[in-house]
Amino acid sequence: MPELPKRKVGIIACSGEEIPEGTVARLAALKVLQSMRAKETVTLCLPLFLAGGEGDRAFARFHPTIAVDGCEKQCAARGTEMYSGKPAASIVINHGACANSSPLGTARRLTQAGMQVVSDVADQIARHVDELLDLKWDRRAGARADSPTAQAESEARQAPCSCGSGVPVTTLHVAGRKAALVALPLIFAQFREAGKLPDDSTKAELMQAVKIYNPVPDADEEAYAQAVLQEYSVFCQRSH
Amino acid sequence: MRQKIIIVPCSGIGKSYGTVTREAAYVVTEDLCPERTRLVPLALLVLGGDEACSALGGAKAIALDGCKLSCAAKVVAESGGAVAHAIQVPEVFRRHRDLKPSGIAALDENGLRLARVLAQEVKELVDSMTGEVCHA
Repeated sequence: MPELPKRKVGIIACSGEEIPEGTVARLAALKVLQSMRAKETVTLCLPLFLAGGEGDRAFARFHPTIAVDGCEKQCAARGTEMYSGKPAASIVINHGACANSSPLGTARRLTQAGMQVVSDVADQIARHVDELLDLKWDRRAGARADSPTAQAESEARQAPCSCGSGVPVTTLHVAGRKAALVALPLIFAQFREAGKLPDDSTKAELMQAVKIYNPVPDADEEAYAQAVLQEYSVFCQRSH
Repeated sequence: MRQKIIIVPCSGIGKSYGTVTREAAYVVTEDLCPERTRLVPLALLVLGGDEACSALGGAKAIALDGCKLSCAAKVVAESGGAVAHAIQVPEVFRRHRDLKPSGIAALDENGLRLARVLAQEVKELVDSMTGEVCHA
């Protein structure tokens, strides 16, 4: 399998505007993204899954994700699973994530108690991040135990977006339609390094690798194979 | 009883503009036009199907987006909703360059003022769509 960009965890909050728990989900996710685990996490935009965010979908296909939902409808978890892949962890705020989640305030303005729940949920998210990345975290120092400079690097910043996750998306013309395929350059680089020629002898193996990360309709498989092989040929010529 | 106009903010979590849409939606649905508008969470529409249809209920929608990707407008349309108006915050900001917002979890004063400007524009659209003036 191709070597992918540095592993991070994607966080998807429902941000539900109707209920305070939705605001808790949003603020807890932001707290983790901006300060608690800024270097280890990126935010994934839930609506972008549907609105055409191939970068977001690609990210969630390659990296573990944590869905944070405000209610049992679990829009974030279900939406992620529907458009990309099952989240590695799922937190539902009014479903036992926190024992005391009633006097949160309103969706627009959380109370002090609501902000406390934000902290509790953020702690839970951070714990999941650490487990997923197998990080050792020094709670007293507030930094990674294996990186003394991490604390300084984790200062508040804009929430990093998965669109810059580094998983490349290539658009090919297949059977008269545009098809967005992820990770092609990474797969091509690996094949080229292994000395595989861009001809029919490589086609089946190439498609096997492509299909790990991309859905390929059975009916169009041959057309995809041709388009991918042609793209690999161009890649090899460029790499000369 | 007349159908309420639906307000759908993108609530994008990566930039201040997303929070501006969220705040503006609250200002419209809670302060300026509570009788004529209702807020529908975009996350619910992402799931599609019956849940999305029932949330939209065939009413006209105003989509508020924080960037040109227009997630709110696109998702409402994908869900079978009728997007009567789609507003992007950067366009509003272009008309009010002194209100450069900052902050995502909490907007700064400029962000809150930009949200109120956006809310006022939405209110005027609601007034024209209903043929009545909302009195805050």
